[in-house]
Amino acid sequence: MNQVLEESYLLTNRRQFFGRASTGIGMAALASMLNADEAPQMSALPGLPHFPPRAKRVIYLLQSGAPSQVDLYDYKPSLEKLHMQELPAEIRNGQRLTGMTAGQAKFPIVKSPFAFQQQGNSGMWLSELLPHLGGVADNLCLINSMYTEAINHDPAITFFQSGHQQPGRPSLGSWLSYGLGSETENLPSFIVMLTKNSFNQAQPIYDRLWGSGFLPSRFQGVKLRSQGDPVLYLNDPAKLDQKTRRNLLDSIAKLNSRRETEVGDPEINTRIAQYEMAYKMQTSVPELANVNDEPESTFSLYGESAKEPGTHAFNCLMARRMAERGVRFIQVFHRGWDHHSNCQGNLPILAKQTDQGSAALIADLKQRDMLKDTLVIWGGEFGRTVYAQGNPASFGRDHHPRCFSIWMAGGGIQGGLTYGKTDDFCYNVAENGVHVHDFHATILHLMGINHERLTYRFQGRDYRLTDVHGQVVEGILT
Amino acid sequence: MNKFVHKLSICIFTPLLSVVVVLACLTAQGQSVEFNQHIRPLLSNKCFACHGPDANQREAGLRLDLEASATAKLASGARAIVPGDLNQSEIWQRINSEDEFSRMPPKEHSNPLSSAEKQLIKQWIQQGAKYQIHWAFIQPDRPLLPTVSTQGWARNPVDYFVLSNLESKGLLPAHPAEKEALIRRLAFDLTGLPPTLEDIDSFLADDSPDNYEQVVEKYLASPAYGENLASFWLDLARYADTNGYQYDTERKHWVWRDWVIHAYNTNKSFADFTIEQLAGDLLPDATPHQILATGFNRNHGITIEGGVIGEEYRTEYVMDRLTTTASIWMGLTVGCARCHDHKYDPISQKEFYALYAYFNLVPERGQNGFQPQMQVSSPLAEHRLSSISARLVALQSDLSSAQNDLTGLEPWAQALVKQGNTWRVLEAQTAKSSGGTTITPQADHSLLISGLNPKNDIYTFTFRTEQQNLTALRLQCLTHPSLPGGGPGRHGNSNFVLTGIELTASSITDPNESRKITFRKARADYNQPRYNVMAALDPNRSTGWAVDGPTRKEPATAIFEFKDSVGYKGGTTLSLTLRHEAPFGTHGIGRPRISISSKPADTVPFDAIDSAIIDAAKRAPTERSEQQTELLIAYYQSNFSPAKAIKDEIKRLQDLQKGGFPATMIMRDQPGIRKTHILNRGQYNEPTTEVSLGTPGVLPSLKPDQLKNRLGLAQWLTSDNHPLTARVTVNRYWQMFFGTGLVKTAEDFGNQGTAPSHPQLLDYLATEFIDSGWDIKHLHRFIVTSATYRQSSKVGRENYKQDPENIFLSRGPRMRLTAEQVRDNALAISGLLLNTMGGASVYPYQPKGIWLELNNRPGYSRAYPQGTGEQLYRRSLYTFWKRTVPSPMMKTLDAPEREFCTLKRSYTNTPLQSLLLLNGVQFVEAARHMASNLLKRPFESDSQRITHGFRLATGRLPSHEELSLLTEAFKQQTDTFRHDPLAVSNLLNVGDSPTDNALDPVRLASWTAFCRILLNLDETITKG
Repeated sequence: MNQVLEESYLLTNRRQFFGRASTGIGMAALASMLNADEAPQMSALPGLPHFPPRAKRVIYLLQSGAPSQVDLYDYKPSLEKLHMQELPAEIRNGQRLTGMTAGQAKFPIVKSPFAFQQQGNSGMWLSELLPHLGGVADNLCLINSMYTEAINHDPAITFFQSGHQQPGRPSLGSWLSYGLGSETENLPSFIVMLTKNSFNQAQPIYDRLWGSGFLPSRFQGVKLRSQGDPVLYLNDPAKLDQKTRRNLLDSIAKLNSRRETEVGDPEINTRIAQYEMAYKMQTSVPELANVNDEPESTFSLYGESAKEPGTHAFNCLMARRMAERGVRFIQVFHRGWDHHSNCQGNLPILAKQTDQGSAALIADLKQRDMLKDTLVIWGGEFGRTVYAQGNPASFGRDHHPRCFSIWMAGGGIQGGLTYGKTDDFCYNVAENGVHVHDFHATILHLMGINHERLTYRFQGRDYRLTDVHGQVVEGILT
Repeated sequence: MNKFVHKLSICIFTPLLSVVVVLACLTAQGQSVEFNQHIRPLLSNKCFACHGPDANQREAGLRLDLEASATAKLASGARAIVPGDLNQSEIWQRINSEDEFSRMPPKEHSNPLSSAEKQLIKQWIQQGAKYQIHWAFIQPDRPLLPTVSTQGWARNPVDYFVLSNLESKGLLPAHPAEKEALIRRLAFDLTGLPPTLEDIDSFLADDSPDNYEQVVEKYLASPAYGENLASFWLDLARYADTNGYQYDTERKHWVWRDWVIHAYNTNKSFADFTIEQLAGDLLPDATPHQILATGFNRNHGITIEGGVIGEEYRTEYVMDRLTTTASIWMGLTVGCARCHDHKYDPISQKEFYALYAYFNLVPERGQNGFQPQMQVSSPLAEHRLSSISARLVALQSDLSSAQNDLTGLEPWAQALVKQGNTWRVLEAQTAKSSGGTTITPQADHSLLISGLNPKNDIYTFTFRTEQQNLTALRLQCLTHPSLPGGGPGRHGNSNFVLTGIELTASSITDPNESRKITFRKARADYNQPRYNVMAALDPNRSTGWAVDGPTRKEPATAIFEFKDSVGYKGGTTLSLTLRHEAPFGTHGIGRPRISISSKPADTVPFDAIDSAIIDAAKRAPTERSEQQTELLIAYYQSNFSPAKAIKDEIKRLQDLQKGGFPATMIMRDQPGIRKTHILNRGQYNEPTTEVSLGTPGVLPSLKPDQLKNRLGLAQWLTSDNHPLTARVTVNRYWQMFFGTGLVKTAEDFGNQGTAPSHPQLLDYLATEFIDSGWDIKHLHRFIVTSATYRQSSKVGRENYKQDPENIFLSRGPRMRLTAEQVRDNALAISGLLLNTMGGASVYPYQPKGIWLELNNRPGYSRAYPQGTGEQLYRRSLYTFWKRTVPSPMMKTLDAPEREFCTLKRSYTNTPLQSLLLLNGVQFVEAARHMASNLLKRPFESDSQRITHGFRLATGRLPSHEELSLLTEAFKQQTDTFRHDPLAVSNLLNVGDSPTDNALDPVRLASWTAFCRILLNLDETITKG
């Protein structure tokens, strides 16, 4: 299977190579040495997609640190009465606590200090901190019944990204690249962007969150950076002009192809093609990252901060530009939601950083008729406790795995739906729980993949993103 | 041109070498069906998950991996397999059933049986359904050499097996590699570096029959050999310079890496290499270096994340040790048996935990589990150390005479008096902690905090002093071995946060005279960014003074200046409160020491001679008390007498001897520390049945003299009768030389692994390895002197197309260099490589911001401290390895993150690699240096220069056609730079190293561009 993939990959690149022959080195001789009977390019695994996909691409706005569902999404009028009461032991029901509140003597429930409003025709309840999102509420499917097992950031975010709490498994994006191949010849199929962080207690993130685990390393996410070269080593440090670089590459290609004739190793042809792709990226990536060609209406939609590289709004705009260019899996990491203290002061800041850009992305995709086949996801790695961490007056909230909220929108997802329920304490799932594995199974399903059948043999075992678990959440699909 | 002869039968036309197709053809030709070769892989893949070793998942009570149960009568009355009787065999009925509910494998099974597979099962049952033990669990016997018809090709036993296999397929080996190609391949395989042109020239000139063998010996003896072999071992050992998990703070574990380099260079037998790394601490009279070796199993990640449950992570560390050890030495995926009996291999969950028990006795913690540690010197420093020892002996004798020379004492004492005193250290009268921690006064009047470590802690100390006009208070935060990580703070990361400080002065004679001191200012000799000591003065309890404990690990001192001076006649009581109330918790100061001063507060230095000494100096020699005289002489001798210089030198040398080496994490057993239980679903908090140490039943049992501890396990692994260790090890070395192992799944020799392509060769090499006394260099010599290894890889497209992975070995190996080798090659051929061995990790070029954009948490993160000078040009195995953000140079070229044991890297070919080689500063700078060297050599023509450069990059002369392509490329570049002075200066300014001003810039730029082409050639980065 691997072999087949290698081969098709090679074919893809040969095609690319000859595709640009008119502007490039124009070595007709090279064409003759390659097999003429190349099959049509098929970079997806054989048999994939398993069924017609509902979404062609995914934009995942990952909110690292864990946003508080109590204060943003899960409307709980019942907390008015429970405010400042001790969380009953039967509700906690043996939930293990992190070392940060395990020693706390009391667990007083604290209601959200923020008001909730009903939004859109669907009347979806959303916090006053999310006014822009309210404007696109009828496109959202808000899932209030997410749950996980992990109670600490590292295992929890690793679980969301790779389906396993310990490092070593391929990330969601790399599974999709591996299974479905690439839609674009000019850009990587899996791109990651990071919001510049201003909150000094933000949890760190790490390369392996977009790594390929045991899949070949070319399936790993490529980081598009807001400082320096947008893609590492993209630009010539000597700043040579395009013609000189072209000459340089042509010289390399000619010598390499000479060598291929002698040796016969097809890897040499792949190498030639990859240098061509690198050359193309030197044009396509800056073109992608240059938002100056956007009309002013774009910035009134996304906000002025979308002009500033490294903001959440800028990255949301970039995500739309990538979606237009055929990037398969786009992930934005926004850090800073880990509010162990002063929720009241911190949440409005973080909500403001992310609200407008996220909502604008939905509206923008919709007006371009792309929302129908783009899956947009917003969410963190777990939720936060309904009880106060520290002083209830300046309360924080600790990590909470038993219930939290995320939203999805777009291809194949029912808009205006609030799915799943939690108990009156916002502590346990009461109805329609969605586990991380279910979440993954559903994403794969929307992309036309049966999650039980996308496997990779490693160390004698056929691994899946969903391990041996996962149920597609039918209730949220159109 | 192409000596690849086609006599392939129709079975082998597919490049995929589909086992099933091949085998179906073989059986059609009337050969017998073998259980191990044909049936086991098929049953394992399609049936064992429900009818295999896992007792808890077994359906219908049927187990197909064992003959007895497969042929036994089932509850239904039927027998799954009746040897020789297809119709009575239920398995045959079920796989062919028309009824989709009774058909096997079940409908939901994603892998139905193909008709070819069914055919194999049919023939096997008809032929008597004979079972065999899985090949890898049978002790290898040394096979006889097969006969071959091609005479004169084979050079050693390896070749007989390869040739006989080729002949059976109607193939012939390739012609021998050209000498330049061969020596280049050999140099990379053994040393990781290209051959020098001198090496190539003398090999070309040498016609003696053993000329090649001599080169082999030279490279095996080269120190670079150990470095190259170590860089492969580091992937297996998951070595890194950071602790992994989310904060990924730094660790100093490189002394262990030095041990590996040294072990390879001294050709430590693989048995000792194994025993010392797994259990060196348990050897009788273990040497420090044998204990150092056990750092191997402390290479796993260690979390410091606040709020984790320690036992959850400690369990993961033990799991990691076990799965790493089992993968490397046994090629078994034992990790599958963590949660349930292994589904494919005969390893039960109980046996898994019996192995787990070997690694479960370390006195360690889950959070901040950095103990036990030991300070051991690097074995690479031995030579230097012995000369240091000799020098120390000489210095000690000089010291005794210098010690007694007190002629300078009084002049020094007078000078001291003039200077005046500054700080007086105070002895605490009382010391309390709000959090109930233990406070122990030390001889130097510092206060060591230990015991409980509460979230918030407020220390209150009282002192008495006669001194008046007090102007400032000094708080020294000292380090102590009992503090976590050896830094000044109590948090696991060695940090503290002082959030508040209060001081009250009261008169001793009149307790009503009392006032609270106002501080006008504070300063510190070190402030963590955003945690300046001034923040300790503000009322905000969430801000304070911190000192980068996770990265700095050094004492820190703060001075608090009083707004008004204070001090009562008749003595003053000072009551000092130090507050630690930061939101993160457990961030107390570990060992505070308090001093006061009466000097002008704004000029008083952080460090100064203690006032007790100055008091003594003030008195005439005869008026000093005995104690004062002793104090003064001792201070003089240790700081100012002629003995001082000698003492300093002794200390410097002693530091070099041991203190220069950071403590390394090691293994240690504390018998009885904890019991091992089977963990339900592998969960740390669900222990069930208790188990004791043991090895899997399918493998040879422990010998009576093998201890029931890790040492016994290591000896068992390296027993001559262990069926796996030698096979797995020779296979991995074969993979290093040829790109693919004889068993393609180097990580899995179990039922799901691929069968060996040359089973007899594998067994021959394994027995040769054991018989040689596990001699690694012997094994490498054996492989690289074979005719198989010495074949050319220049064999034409047809050969590559027929056998893309070179399974048949009908050509020499050709593969891209490893990440480390690609970079080292560029450094070596450009003359930049600094070839010093061992030592701490270094920080070569890296694009700015890569660390901080992922982790900018104060106290846990820092910017990449890019090195300067020599640090930029060390071999890549010394590059600082940060697990969560590995060096992008290494990562782009397929180096793993080292989060866990990696037995085989992927070798990809991506545009990002092209960008790195084209634009990475390291490579552009290397091109400039290569150009500079070319220009400085006296060549008669540019054409000679071009040829020389090409030889440096590829090891060979260019063909006529290549030379003209190269010349054309060079001319093109020259034309560009002649007309573009800006491009010239841009190009020549890349990299830290200076440009040779004696060279014409335009020419240098043109040659630099030319060398960039050379460094980007496929051939340059390929071992061919």
